[in-house]
Amino acid sequence: MGKKRTVGFSRFSEVQTAWLFMAPGLLLLALFTFWPIIFSLPLAFTNYSVIGETSFVGLDNFKRAFSDVDFIASIKNSLLYMIIVPFIQIISILMAILVNQKIAGIKFFRTAYYIPVVTSMVAVAIIWGWLMSSNGVLNYLLMSVGLLDEKINWLSDKDTALWALMFITLWKGLGYYMMIYLAGLQAVPTDCIEAAKIDGASNFQIIRKIILPLLKPYVFFCTLISLMAAIRVFDEVFVLTSGGPGNSTLTSSVYIYQQGFEQFEFGYSSALGLIVSFIIMFFSIFIFVFNRKGGVNPY
Amino acid sequence: MKNTNQLKRIISKFFVYVLLIIFAIFMMGPFLWLISVSLMPGKNIFAFPPAILPTFIDFKNYLEVWEYMDFLKYIWNTVIITFLGVTLSLLFSALTAYPLAIFKFKGRNFIFLLLVSTMIIPAAAALVVNYLTINSMGLINTFTGVVLPTLVSVFNVFLFRQAFMGIPTDIRDSGKMDGASEFRIWGQLMMPMIKPAVAVVGLFEFMANWNSFLWPIIVLNTEKYPLASALSFLNGQFSYNFGWIAAGTVISVLPIIFVFLFTQKYYMEGISGAVKG
Repeated sequence: MGKKRTVGFSRFSEVQTAWLFMAPGLLLLALFTFWPIIFSLPLAFTNYSVIGETSFVGLDNFKRAFSDVDFIASIKNSLLYMIIVPFIQIISILMAILVNQKIAGIKFFRTAYYIPVVTSMVAVAIIWGWLMSSNGVLNYLLMSVGLLDEKINWLSDKDTALWALMFITLWKGLGYYMMIYLAGLQAVPTDCIEAAKIDGASNFQIIRKIILPLLKPYVFFCTLISLMAAIRVFDEVFVLTSGGPGNSTLTSSVYIYQQGFEQFEFGYSSALGLIVSFIIMFFSIFIFVFNRKGGVNPY
Repeated sequence: MKNTNQLKRIISKFFVYVLLIIFAIFMMGPFLWLISVSLMPGKNIFAFPPAILPTFIDFKNYLEVWEYMDFLKYIWNTVIITFLGVTLSLLFSALTAYPLAIFKFKGRNFIFLLLVSTMIIPAAAALVVNYLTINSMGLINTFTGVVLPTLVSVFNVFLFRQAFMGIPTDIRDSGKMDGASEFRIWGQLMMPMIKPAVAVVGLFEFMANWNSFLWPIIVLNTEKYPLASALSFLNGQFSYNFGWIAAGTVISVLPIIFVFLFTQKYYMEGISGAVKG
Protein backbone atom coordinates (compact mmCIF):
# COMPACT_ATOMS: atom_id res chain seq x y z
CA MET A 1 0.00 0.00 0.00
CA GLY A 2 2.72 2.41 -1.02
CA LYS A 3 0.53 4.72 -3.04
CA LYS A 4 -0.41 7.47 -0.66
CA ARG A 5 -1.33 10.04 -3.27
CA THR A 6 -5.12 10.15 -3.34
CA VAL A 7 -7.67 12.81 -4.08
CA GLY A 8 -10.42 13.99 -1.74
CA PHE A 9 -9.44 12.42 1.53
CA SER A 10 -5.77 13.06 0.75
CA ARG A 11 -5.82 15.85 3.30
CA PHE A 12 -6.08 13.13 5.90
CA SER A 13 -3.56 10.45 6.68
CA GLU A 14 -4.62 6.82 6.77
CA VAL A 15 -4.92 6.92 10.55
CA GLN A 16 -7.08 10.02 10.49
CA THR A 17 -9.30 8.55 7.79
CA ALA A 18 -9.73 5.42 9.88
CA TRP A 19 -10.89 7.43 12.88
CA LEU A 20 -13.18 9.53 10.71
CA PHE A 21 -14.87 6.38 9.45
CA MET A 22 -15.24 4.92 12.91
CA ALA A 23 -16.25 8.11 14.71
CA PRO A 24 -20.05 7.88 14.50
CA GLY A 25 -20.13 4.20 15.35
CA LEU A 26 -17.67 4.44 18.20
CA LEU A 27 -19.49 7.46 19.61
CA LEU A 28 -22.77 5.54 19.72
CA LEU A 29 -21.07 2.48 21.18
CA ALA A 30 -19.39 4.63 23.80
CA LEU A 31 -22.66 6.25 24.79
CA PHE A 32 -24.97 3.23 24.84
CA THR A 33 -22.69 0.23 25.36
CA PHE A 34 -19.58 1.38 27.24
CA TRP A 35 -21.15 4.14 29.30
CA PRO A 36 -23.76 1.84 30.92
CA ILE A 37 -20.99 -0.57 31.90
CA ILE A 38 -18.81 2.23 33.30
CA PHE A 39 -21.64 4.13 34.95
CA SER A 40 -23.26 1.12 36.59
CA LEU A 41 -20.05 0.54 38.52
CA PRO A 42 -20.27 3.62 40.80
CA LEU A 43 -24.06 3.36 40.75
CA ALA A 44 -23.84 -0.11 42.27
CA PHE A 45 -22.27 1.38 45.40
CA THR A 46 -25.06 3.90 45.97
CA ASN A 47 -28.71 3.73 46.97
CA TYR A 48 -29.72 5.78 43.91
CA SER A 49 -33.47 5.55 43.40
CA VAL A 50 -36.34 7.76 42.38
CA ILE A 51 -37.18 8.71 45.95
CA GLY A 52 -34.75 10.03 48.56
CA GLU A 53 -31.25 11.38 48.32
CA THR A 54 -28.46 9.41 46.80
CA SER A 55 -25.61 8.42 49.04
CA PHE A 56 -22.66 6.08 48.98
CA VAL A 57 -23.56 2.80 50.66
CA GLY A 58 -20.39 0.80 50.07
CA LEU A 59 -20.94 -2.92 49.63
CA ASP A 60 -24.47 -2.86 51.03
CA ASN A 61 -26.10 -3.65 47.67
CA PHE A 62 -23.86 -6.67 47.17
CA LYS A 63 -24.44 -7.92 50.72
CA ARG A 64 -28.15 -7.48 50.18
CA ALA A 65 -27.97 -9.38 46.87
CA PHE A 66 -26.39 -12.44 48.41
CA SER A 67 -29.05 -12.64 51.09
CA ASP A 68 -31.88 -11.79 48.70
CA VAL A 69 -33.89 -15.00 48.31
CA ASP A 70 -35.46 -13.82 45.05
CA PHE A 71 -32.13 -12.89 43.52
CA ILE A 72 -30.57 -16.22 44.42
CA ALA A 73 -33.62 -17.99 42.99
CA SER A 74 -33.28 -15.92 39.82
CA ILE A 75 -29.63 -16.91 39.42
CA LYS A 76 -30.56 -20.54 39.92
CA ASN A 77 -33.28 -20.27 37.27
CA SER A 78 -30.90 -18.58 34.85
CA LEU A 79 -28.32 -21.31 35.33
CA LEU A 80 -31.00 -23.98 34.97
CA TYR A 81 -32.02 -22.33 31.71
CA MET A 82 -28.65 -23.30 30.25
CA ILE A 83 -29.90 -26.90 30.03
CA ILE A 84 -31.47 -26.00 26.69
CA VAL A 85 -28.08 -25.22 25.12
CA PRO A 86 -27.07 -28.81 24.22
CA PHE A 87 -30.61 -29.60 23.05
CA ILE A 88 -30.53 -26.59 20.74
CA GLN A 89 -27.31 -27.87 19.16
CA ILE A 90 -28.50 -31.45 18.72
CA ILE A 91 -31.91 -30.63 17.26
CA SER A 92 -30.74 -27.79 15.04
CA ILE A 93 -27.87 -29.86 13.63
CA LEU A 94 -30.37 -32.62 12.88
CA MET A 95 -32.65 -30.09 11.18
CA ALA A 96 -29.72 -28.65 9.23
CA ILE A 97 -28.70 -32.11 7.97
CA LEU A 98 -32.32 -32.73 6.97
CA VAL A 99 -32.67 -29.53 4.96
CA ASN A 100 -29.21 -29.79 3.40
CA GLN A 101 -30.45 -32.19 0.75
CA LYS A 102 -31.17 -31.37 -2.85
CA ILE A 103 -34.74 -32.62 -3.01
CA ALA A 104 -37.97 -31.08 -4.24
CA GLY A 105 -39.59 -28.57 -1.91
CA ILE A 106 -36.60 -28.23 0.40
CA LYS A 107 -36.79 -24.42 0.27
CA PHE A 108 -40.29 -24.58 1.67
CA PHE A 109 -39.09 -26.57 4.67
CA ARG A 110 -36.14 -24.23 5.31
CA THR A 111 -38.54 -21.30 5.30
CA ALA A 112 -41.06 -23.06 7.52
CA TYR A 113 -38.40 -23.84 10.12
CA TYR A 114 -37.15 -20.27 10.11
CA ILE A 115 -40.49 -18.50 10.53
CA PRO A 116 -40.54 -18.70 14.38
CA VAL A 117 -37.22 -16.82 14.36
CA VAL A 118 -38.66 -13.98 12.31
CA THR A 119 -41.76 -13.59 14.44
CA SER A 120 -41.90 -11.23 17.42
CA MET A 121 -41.58 -12.71 20.90
CA VAL A 122 -44.88 -11.06 21.84
CA ALA A 123 -46.71 -12.98 19.11
CA VAL A 124 -44.95 -16.22 20.01
CA ALA A 125 -45.76 -15.70 23.68
CA ILE A 126 -49.44 -15.11 22.95
CA ILE A 127 -49.71 -18.28 20.85
CA TRP A 128 -47.86 -20.54 23.28
CA GLY A 129 -49.61 -18.98 26.26
CA TRP A 130 -52.88 -20.23 24.78
CA LEU A 131 -51.54 -23.58 23.62
CA MET A 132 -50.13 -24.31 27.07
CA SER A 133 -53.11 -23.25 29.17
CA SER A 134 -54.94 -25.96 31.08
CA ASN A 135 -57.75 -26.20 28.49
CA GLY A 136 -55.27 -25.63 25.68
CA VAL A 137 -54.41 -27.62 22.61
CA LEU A 138 -51.21 -29.06 24.10
CA ASN A 139 -53.03 -30.78 26.95
CA TYR A 140 -55.69 -31.99 24.54
CA LEU A 141 -53.10 -33.54 22.22
CA LEU A 142 -51.06 -35.10 25.03
CA MET A 143 -54.17 -36.52 26.66
CA SER A 144 -55.62 -37.94 23.47
CA VAL A 145 -52.33 -39.74 22.76
CA GLY A 146 -52.35 -40.99 26.34
CA LEU A 147 -49.15 -39.26 27.42
CA LEU A 148 -50.97 -37.22 30.04
CA ASP A 149 -53.63 -38.21 32.56
CA GLU A 150 -54.88 -34.85 33.75
CA LYS A 151 -54.70 -31.26 32.56
CA ILE A 152 -51.62 -29.26 33.49
CA ASN A 153 -51.58 -25.48 33.43
CA TRP A 154 -48.04 -25.52 32.10
CA LEU A 155 -47.22 -21.85 32.63
CA SER A 156 -48.87 -21.28 35.99
CA ASP A 157 -47.83 -24.48 37.71
CA LYS A 158 -44.64 -23.75 39.57
CA ASP A 159 -43.23 -27.20 38.80
CA THR A 160 -43.61 -26.88 35.05
CA ALA A 161 -43.53 -23.13 34.30
CA LEU A 162 -39.78 -22.80 33.87
CA TRP A 163 -39.60 -25.91 31.68
CA ALA A 164 -42.46 -24.62 29.56
CA LEU A 165 -40.61 -21.34 29.02
CA MET A 166 -37.42 -23.20 28.13
CA PHE A 167 -39.36 -25.18 25.58
CA ILE A 168 -40.69 -21.98 23.99
CA THR A 169 -37.20 -20.46 23.88
CA LEU A 170 -35.89 -23.64 22.29
CA TRP A 171 -38.70 -23.75 19.73
CA LYS A 172 -38.22 -20.13 18.71
CA GLY A 173 -34.44 -20.40 18.44
CA LEU A 174 -34.05 -23.68 16.52
CA GLY A 175 -34.40 -22.13 13.07
CA TYR A 176 -31.73 -19.53 13.77
CA TYR A 177 -29.13 -22.10 14.73
CA MET A 178 -30.26 -24.42 11.94
CA MET A 179 -29.37 -21.72 9.41
CA ILE A 180 -25.88 -21.28 10.86
CA TYR A 181 -25.30 -25.04 10.81
CA LEU A 182 -26.69 -25.24 7.29
CA ALA A 183 -24.14 -22.64 6.23
CA GLY A 184 -21.52 -24.85 7.85
CA LEU A 185 -22.77 -27.97 6.11
CA GLN A 186 -22.70 -26.31 2.72
CA ALA A 187 -19.06 -25.49 3.29
CA VAL A 188 -18.28 -29.21 3.75
CA PRO A 189 -16.50 -30.36 0.57
CA THR A 190 -18.77 -32.76 -1.31
CA ASP A 191 -15.92 -34.85 -2.74
CA CYS A 192 -15.03 -35.76 0.83
CA ILE A 193 -18.47 -37.28 1.32
CA GLU A 194 -18.48 -38.89 -2.14
CA ALA A 195 -15.15 -40.57 -1.42
CA ALA A 196 -16.46 -41.90 1.88
CA LYS A 197 -19.57 -43.24 0.15
CA ILE A 198 -17.43 -45.06 -2.43
CA ASP A 199 -15.47 -46.59 0.44
CA GLY A 200 -18.75 -47.92 1.74
CA ALA A 201 -19.37 -45.64 4.68
CA SER A 202 -22.91 -45.52 6.03
CA ASN A 203 -24.83 -42.28 6.36
CA PHE A 204 -24.44 -42.42 10.10
CA GLN A 205 -20.68 -42.90 9.78
CA ILE A 206 -20.45 -39.98 7.38
CA ILE A 207 -22.28 -37.72 9.84
CA ARG A 208 -20.20 -38.85 12.79
CA LYS A 209 -16.77 -39.04 11.20
CA ILE A 210 -16.84 -36.28 8.58
CA ILE A 211 -19.65 -33.81 9.05
CA LEU A 212 -19.56 -33.32 12.83
CA PRO A 213 -15.78 -32.73 13.06
CA LEU A 214 -16.02 -30.18 10.24
CA LEU A 215 -18.91 -28.49 12.02
CA LYS A 216 -16.90 -28.01 15.21
CA PRO A 217 -16.25 -24.28 14.82
CA TYR A 218 -19.95 -23.76 14.21
CA VAL A 219 -20.86 -25.78 17.28
CA PHE A 220 -18.54 -23.60 19.31
CA PHE A 221 -20.04 -20.42 17.92
CA CYS A 222 -23.64 -21.56 18.41
CA THR A 223 -22.96 -22.85 21.90
CA LEU A 224 -21.52 -19.52 22.94
CA ILE A 225 -24.36 -17.51 21.41
CA SER A 226 -27.11 -19.74 22.78
CA LEU A 227 -25.50 -19.88 26.22
CA MET A 228 -25.44 -16.11 26.51
CA ALA A 229 -28.99 -15.92 25.19
CA ALA A 230 -30.10 -18.47 27.79
CA ILE A 231 -28.54 -16.58 30.70
CA ARG A 232 -29.92 -13.28 29.47
CA VAL A 233 -33.38 -14.60 28.59
CA PHE A 234 -35.94 -11.89 29.14
CA ASP A 235 -38.73 -11.35 26.60
CA GLU A 236 -40.59 -14.65 26.84
CA VAL A 237 -40.41 -14.69 30.64
CA PHE A 238 -41.48 -11.06 30.88
CA VAL A 239 -44.49 -11.49 28.59
CA LEU A 240 -45.68 -14.90 29.76
CA THR A 241 -45.04 -15.19 33.50
CA SER A 242 -43.04 -12.12 34.64
CA GLY A 243 -41.23 -14.42 37.03
CA GLY A 244 -44.21 -16.14 38.60
CA PRO A 245 -45.78 -18.22 40.01
CA GLY A 246 -43.84 -17.35 43.15
CA ASN A 247 -40.36 -16.86 41.81
CA SER A 248 -40.31 -20.14 39.91
CA THR A 249 -39.58 -18.52 36.54
CA LEU A 250 -37.79 -15.44 37.81
CA THR A 251 -34.65 -15.15 35.68
CA SER A 252 -31.85 -12.75 36.50
CA SER A 253 -32.65 -10.34 33.66
CA VAL A 254 -36.27 -10.13 34.73
CA TYR A 255 -35.28 -9.51 38.35
CA ILE A 256 -32.81 -6.78 37.33
CA TYR A 257 -35.57 -5.20 35.27
CA GLN A 258 -38.06 -5.40 38.13
CA GLN A 259 -35.66 -3.79 40.59
CA GLY A 260 -34.86 -1.03 38.12
CA PHE A 261 -38.17 -0.24 36.49
CA GLU A 262 -40.78 -1.45 38.97
CA GLN A 263 -39.07 -0.78 42.32
CA PHE A 264 -36.97 2.09 40.86
CA GLU A 265 -33.96 0.96 42.86
CA PHE A 266 -31.36 1.90 40.28
CA GLY A 267 -28.41 1.38 42.61
CA TYR A 268 -29.43 -2.12 43.62
CA SER A 269 -30.38 -3.01 40.04
CA SER A 270 -26.91 -1.95 38.85
CA ALA A 271 -25.24 -4.09 41.49
CA LEU A 272 -27.29 -7.09 40.38
CA GLY A 273 -26.33 -6.39 36.78
CA LEU A 274 -22.65 -6.41 37.70
CA ILE A 275 -22.94 -9.72 39.53
CA VAL A 276 -24.70 -11.33 36.57
CA SER A 277 -22.08 -9.85 34.23
CA PHE A 278 -19.37 -11.60 36.18
CA ILE A 279 -21.22 -14.89 36.01
CA ILE A 280 -21.59 -14.60 32.24
CA MET A 281 -17.95 -13.60 31.91
CA PHE A 282 -16.97 -16.68 33.85
CA PHE A 283 -18.90 -18.99 31.53
CA SER A 284 -17.63 -17.28 28.39
CA ILE A 285 -14.02 -17.60 29.49
CA PHE A 286 -14.70 -21.21 30.41
CA ILE A 287 -15.99 -21.94 26.91
CA PHE A 288 -13.12 -20.07 25.27
CA VAL A 289 -10.53 -22.01 27.26
CA PHE A 290 -12.41 -25.24 26.65
CA ASN A 291 -12.29 -24.65 22.89
CA ARG A 292 -8.80 -23.21 22.63
CA LYS A 293 -7.48 -26.45 21.20
CA GLY A 294 -9.49 -25.99 18.03
CA GLY A 295 -8.12 -22.48 17.61
CA VAL A 296 -11.53 -21.30 16.53
CA ASN A 297 -12.23 -17.70 15.65
CA PRO A 298 -15.92 -16.90 15.33
CA TYR A 299 -15.99 -13.65 13.38
CA MET B 1 -29.10 -55.46 -7.61
CA LYS B 2 -30.18 -52.33 -9.42
CA ASN B 3 -33.76 -52.75 -8.29
CA THR B 4 -32.97 -53.17 -4.60
CA ASN B 5 -30.76 -50.08 -4.70
CA GLN B 6 -33.51 -48.08 -6.27
CA LEU B 7 -36.01 -49.34 -3.70
CA LYS B 8 -33.59 -48.42 -0.93
CA ARG B 9 -33.29 -44.92 -2.31
CA ILE B 10 -37.06 -44.48 -2.53
CA ILE B 11 -37.54 -45.70 1.04
CA SER B 12 -34.86 -43.42 2.42
CA LYS B 13 -36.34 -40.49 0.50
CA PHE B 14 -39.75 -41.29 1.92
CA PHE B 15 -38.25 -41.42 5.41
CA VAL B 16 -36.60 -38.02 4.87
CA TYR B 17 -39.87 -36.45 3.79
CA VAL B 18 -41.69 -37.89 6.79
CA LEU B 19 -39.08 -36.34 9.11
CA LEU B 20 -39.24 -33.03 7.23
CA ILE B 21 -43.01 -32.91 7.57
CA ILE B 22 -42.94 -33.81 11.28
CA PHE B 23 -40.55 -30.91 11.92
CA ALA B 24 -42.65 -28.62 9.73
CA ILE B 25 -45.77 -29.38 11.77
CA PHE B 26 -43.80 -28.80 14.96
CA MET B 27 -42.48 -25.42 13.78
CA MET B 28 -45.51 -24.16 11.83
CA GLY B 29 -48.39 -25.81 13.70
CA PRO B 30 -48.80 -23.06 16.30
CA PHE B 31 -49.05 -20.42 13.54
CA LEU B 32 -51.57 -22.41 11.53
CA TRP B 33 -53.67 -22.82 14.65
CA LEU B 34 -53.41 -19.07 15.31
CA ILE B 35 -54.76 -18.35 11.84
CA SER B 36 -57.50 -20.87 12.48
CA VAL B 37 -58.46 -19.13 15.76
CA SER B 38 -58.48 -15.74 14.05
CA LEU B 39 -61.06 -17.05 11.57
CA MET B 40 -63.43 -18.47 14.21
CA PRO B 41 -65.75 -15.68 15.33
CA GLY B 42 -67.14 -15.87 18.84
CA LYS B 43 -65.44 -19.16 19.67
CA ASN B 44 -63.95 -19.73 23.05
CA ILE B 45 -60.54 -21.26 22.44
CA PHE B 46 -60.48 -22.53 26.00
CA ALA B 47 -63.50 -24.77 25.52
CA PHE B 48 -62.41 -28.37 26.04
CA PRO B 49 -61.78 -30.15 23.73
CA PRO B 50 -60.40 -27.01 22.08
CA ALA B 51 -61.54 -25.93 18.64
CA ILE B 52 -58.66 -26.60 16.30
CA LEU B 53 -60.19 -26.08 12.86
CA PRO B 54 -62.80 -23.42 12.09
CA THR B 55 -66.16 -24.80 10.99
CA PHE B 56 -66.63 -21.80 8.73
CA ILE B 57 -64.32 -18.97 7.75
CA ASP B 58 -65.12 -15.41 8.78
CA PHE B 59 -62.94 -12.30 8.65
CA LYS B 60 -65.06 -10.43 11.23
CA ASN B 61 -62.28 -10.52 13.83
CA TYR B 62 -59.90 -8.84 11.41
CA LEU B 63 -62.34 -6.06 10.54
CA GLU B 64 -63.23 -5.39 14.17
CA VAL B 65 -59.73 -5.41 15.59
CA TRP B 66 -58.45 -3.32 12.66
CA GLU B 67 -61.04 -0.68 13.46
CA TYR B 68 -60.58 -0.83 17.22
CA MET B 69 -56.78 -0.76 17.26
CA ASP B 70 -56.04 1.78 14.55
CA PHE B 71 -53.49 -0.62 13.15
CA LEU B 72 -52.42 1.78 10.40
CA LYS B 73 -51.02 4.12 13.04
CA TYR B 74 -49.04 1.35 14.73
CA ILE B 75 -47.82 -0.03 11.41
CA TRP B 76 -46.70 3.47 10.44
CA ASN B 77 -44.86 3.88 13.77
CA THR B 78 -43.18 0.52 13.21
CA VAL B 79 -42.23 1.42 9.65
CA ILE B 80 -40.57 4.66 10.77
CA ILE B 81 -38.68 2.96 13.61
CA THR B 82 -37.62 0.08 11.36
CA PHE B 83 -36.57 2.36 8.49
CA LEU B 84 -34.46 4.54 10.77
CA GLY B 85 -33.03 1.54 12.57
CA VAL B 86 -32.08 -0.46 9.48
CA THR B 87 -30.60 2.31 7.31
CA LEU B 88 -28.64 4.04 10.04
CA SER B 89 -27.30 0.85 11.57
CA LEU B 90 -26.19 -0.44 8.16
CA LEU B 91 -24.42 2.86 7.54
CA PHE B 92 -22.72 3.24 10.91
CA SER B 93 -21.79 -0.43 11.35
CA ALA B 94 -20.30 -0.66 7.86
CA LEU B 95 -18.38 2.59 8.35
CA THR B 96 -16.98 1.37 11.67
CA ALA B 97 -16.05 -2.05 10.35
CA TYR B 98 -14.26 -0.86 7.22
CA PRO B 99 -11.05 0.53 8.78
CA LEU B 100 -10.96 -2.37 11.23
CA ALA B 101 -10.78 -4.77 8.31
CA ILE B 102 -8.71 -2.87 5.75
CA PHE B 103 -6.52 -0.23 7.39
CA LYS B 104 -3.36 -0.67 9.35
CA PHE B 105 -3.23 1.85 12.13
CA LYS B 106 -2.19 2.16 15.72
CA GLY B 107 -4.91 1.27 18.18
CA ARG B 108 -6.68 -1.08 15.78
CA ASN B 109 -6.11 -4.11 17.94
CA PHE B 110 -7.08 -2.17 21.04
CA ILE B 111 -10.41 -1.15 19.54
CA PHE B 112 -11.01 -4.66 18.39
CA LEU B 113 -10.35 -6.01 21.89
CA LEU B 114 -12.65 -3.39 23.36
CA LEU B 115 -15.43 -4.48 21.02
CA VAL B 116 -14.93 -8.15 21.84
CA SER B 117 -15.15 -7.42 25.55
CA THR B 118 -18.65 -6.00 25.16
CA MET B 119 -19.81 -9.34 23.78
CA ILE B 120 -18.80 -10.95 27.04
CA ILE B 121 -20.35 -8.36 29.31
CA PRO B 122 -24.13 -8.43 29.01
CA ALA B 123 -26.32 -5.38 28.65
CA ALA B 124 -28.61 -6.53 31.46
CA ALA B 125 -28.17 -3.38 33.51
CA ALA B 126 -27.71 -1.14 30.47
CA LEU B 127 -31.45 -0.59 30.28
CA VAL B 128 -31.54 1.66 33.34
CA VAL B 129 -28.51 3.73 32.37
CA ASN B 130 -29.69 4.03 28.77
CA TYR B 131 -33.01 5.30 30.01
CA LEU B 132 -31.23 7.97 32.05
CA THR B 133 -29.08 8.90 29.03
CA ILE B 134 -32.03 9.14 26.63
CA ASN B 135 -33.92 11.13 29.25
CA SER B 136 -31.09 13.62 29.74
CA MET B 137 -30.86 14.04 25.95
CA GLY B 138 -34.52 15.01 25.93
CA LEU B 139 -35.41 12.12 23.63
CA ILE B 140 -38.15 10.48 25.71
CA ASN B 141 -41.22 9.79 23.56
CA THR B 142 -39.29 10.22 20.29
CA PHE B 143 -38.51 7.62 17.64
CA THR B 144 -34.89 8.79 17.74
CA GLY B 145 -34.80 7.79 21.39
CA VAL B 146 -36.05 4.31 20.48
CA VAL B 147 -33.57 3.76 17.69
CA LEU B 148 -30.40 5.41 18.96
CA PRO B 149 -29.20 2.88 21.59
CA THR B 150 -29.42 -0.08 19.21
CA LEU B 151 -27.88 1.51 16.10
CA VAL B 152 -24.39 0.09 16.38
CA SER B 153 -24.06 -3.45 17.62
CA VAL B 154 -20.71 -5.13 17.98
CA PHE B 155 -22.19 -8.18 16.30
CA ASN B 156 -22.94 -6.23 13.11
CA VAL B 157 -19.52 -4.59 13.11
CA PHE B 158 -17.97 -8.08 13.23
CA LEU B 159 -20.12 -9.37 10.40
CA PHE B 160 -19.11 -6.44 8.21
CA ARG B 161 -15.48 -6.66 9.20
CA GLN B 162 -15.43 -10.32 8.21
CA ALA B 163 -17.01 -9.47 4.85
CA PHE B 164 -14.61 -6.60 4.11
CA MET B 165 -11.65 -8.84 4.92
CA GLY B 166 -12.72 -11.19 2.15
CA ILE B 167 -12.27 -8.53 -0.54
CA PRO B 168 -8.95 -8.68 -2.41
CA THR B 169 -6.68 -5.68 -1.69
CA ASP B 170 -6.22 -5.03 -5.43
CA ILE B 171 -9.71 -3.58 -5.55
CA ARG B 172 -8.90 -0.81 -3.12
CA ASP B 173 -5.57 -0.18 -4.81
CA SER B 174 -7.18 0.12 -8.21
CA GLY B 175 -9.69 2.57 -6.77
CA LYS B 176 -6.84 4.63 -5.43
CA MET B 177 -5.05 4.53 -8.77
CA ASP B 178 -8.14 6.01 -10.34
CA GLY B 179 -8.00 8.76 -7.77
CA ALA B 180 -11.11 7.88 -5.81
CA SER B 181 -11.38 9.12 -2.25
CA GLU B 182 -11.46 6.57 0.54
CA PHE B 183 -15.12 7.34 1.12
CA ARG B 184 -15.93 6.66 -2.54
CA ILE B 185 -13.91 3.46 -2.49
CA TRP B 186 -15.94 2.37 0.52
CA GLY B 187 -19.30 3.37 -0.91
CA GLN B 188 -18.95 2.52 -4.60
CA LEU B 189 -16.40 -0.30 -4.68
CA MET B 190 -16.53 -2.09 -1.35
CA MET B 191 -20.19 -1.92 -0.32
CA PRO B 192 -21.49 -3.47 -3.57
CA MET B 193 -19.07 -6.35 -3.04
CA ILE B 194 -20.41 -7.26 0.38
CA LYS B 195 -24.08 -7.35 -0.61
CA PRO B 196 -24.70 -10.70 1.13
CA ALA B 197 -23.44 -9.29 4.44
CA VAL B 198 -25.58 -6.20 3.92
CA ALA B 199 -28.57 -8.47 3.34
CA VAL B 200 -27.95 -10.44 6.53
CA VAL B 201 -27.35 -7.42 8.74
CA GLY B 202 -30.27 -5.66 7.09
CA LEU B 203 -32.59 -8.56 7.75
CA PHE B 204 -31.40 -9.04 11.33
CA GLU B 205 -31.86 -5.35 12.00
CA PHE B 206 -35.24 -5.39 10.30
CA MET B 207 -36.35 -8.22 12.56
CA ALA B 208 -34.93 -6.64 15.69
CA ASN B 209 -36.55 -3.27 15.04
CA TRP B 210 -39.85 -4.59 13.77
CA ASN B 211 -40.23 -6.92 16.75
CA SER B 212 -38.81 -4.79 19.56
CA PHE B 213 -41.34 -4.10 22.26
CA LEU B 214 -39.70 -3.57 25.65
CA TRP B 215 -37.51 -0.56 24.95
CA PRO B 216 -40.32 1.21 23.02
CA ILE B 217 -42.64 0.63 26.00
CA ILE B 218 -40.06 2.26 28.28
CA VAL B 219 -39.33 5.23 26.01
CA LEU B 220 -42.64 5.92 24.22
CA ASN B 221 -46.21 6.85 25.09
CA THR B 222 -48.97 4.50 23.98
CA GLU B 223 -49.88 6.37 20.81
CA LYS B 224 -46.33 6.07 19.49
CA TYR B 225 -46.03 2.32 20.17
CA PRO B 226 -44.79 0.05 17.41
CA LEU B 227 -46.78 -3.08 16.54
CA ALA B 228 -45.23 -5.53 19.00
CA SER B 229 -45.67 -3.13 21.93
CA ALA B 230 -49.24 -2.39 20.87
CA LEU B 231 -49.89 -6.10 20.59
CA SER B 232 -48.73 -6.78 24.13
CA PHE B 233 -50.96 -3.90 25.20
CA LEU B 234 -53.93 -5.40 23.34
CA ASN B 235 -53.23 -8.77 24.88
CA GLY B 236 -53.32 -7.24 28.36
CA GLN B 237 -56.52 -5.28 27.68
CA PHE B 238 -58.60 -7.92 25.90
CA SER B 239 -57.30 -11.20 27.21
CA TYR B 240 -60.84 -12.61 26.91
CA ASN B 241 -61.41 -11.66 23.26
CA PHE B 242 -59.33 -14.38 21.63
CA GLY B 243 -60.48 -13.81 18.08
CA TRP B 244 -59.39 -10.19 18.20
CA ILE B 245 -56.02 -10.94 19.68
CA ALA B 246 -55.45 -13.77 17.22
CA ALA B 247 -56.35 -11.51 14.29
CA GLY B 248 -54.16 -8.71 15.68
CA THR B 249 -51.28 -11.14 16.10
CA VAL B 250 -51.63 -12.37 12.52
CA ILE B 251 -51.69 -8.78 11.25
CA SER B 252 -48.54 -7.95 13.20
CA VAL B 253 -46.68 -11.05 12.02
CA LEU B 254 -47.54 -10.98 8.30
CA PRO B 255 -45.40 -7.99 7.19
CA ILE B 256 -42.19 -9.39 8.61
CA ILE B 257 -42.86 -12.82 7.13
CA PHE B 258 -43.35 -11.22 3.70
CA VAL B 259 -40.11 -9.30 4.01
CA PHE B 260 -38.34 -12.49 4.99
CA LEU B 261 -39.80 -14.43 2.06
CA PHE B 262 -38.58 -11.82 -0.42
CA THR B 263 -35.08 -11.53 1.01
CA GLN B 264 -34.29 -15.09 2.04
CA LYS B 265 -32.34 -16.00 -1.10
CA TYR B 266 -29.67 -13.43 -0.23
CA TYR B 267 -29.81 -14.50 3.33
CA MET B 268 -28.34 -17.99 3.06
CA GLU B 269 -25.45 -16.73 0.97
CA GLY B 270 -24.81 -14.01 3.52
CA ILE B 271 -24.70 -16.35 6.50
CA SER B 272 -22.26 -18.65 4.73
CA GLY B 273 -19.99 -15.67 4.12
CA ALA B 274 -20.36 -14.33 7.63
CA VAL B 275 -19.59 -17.39 9.72
CA LYS B 276 -16.13 -18.62 8.98
CA GLY B 277 -14.41 -21.19 11.11
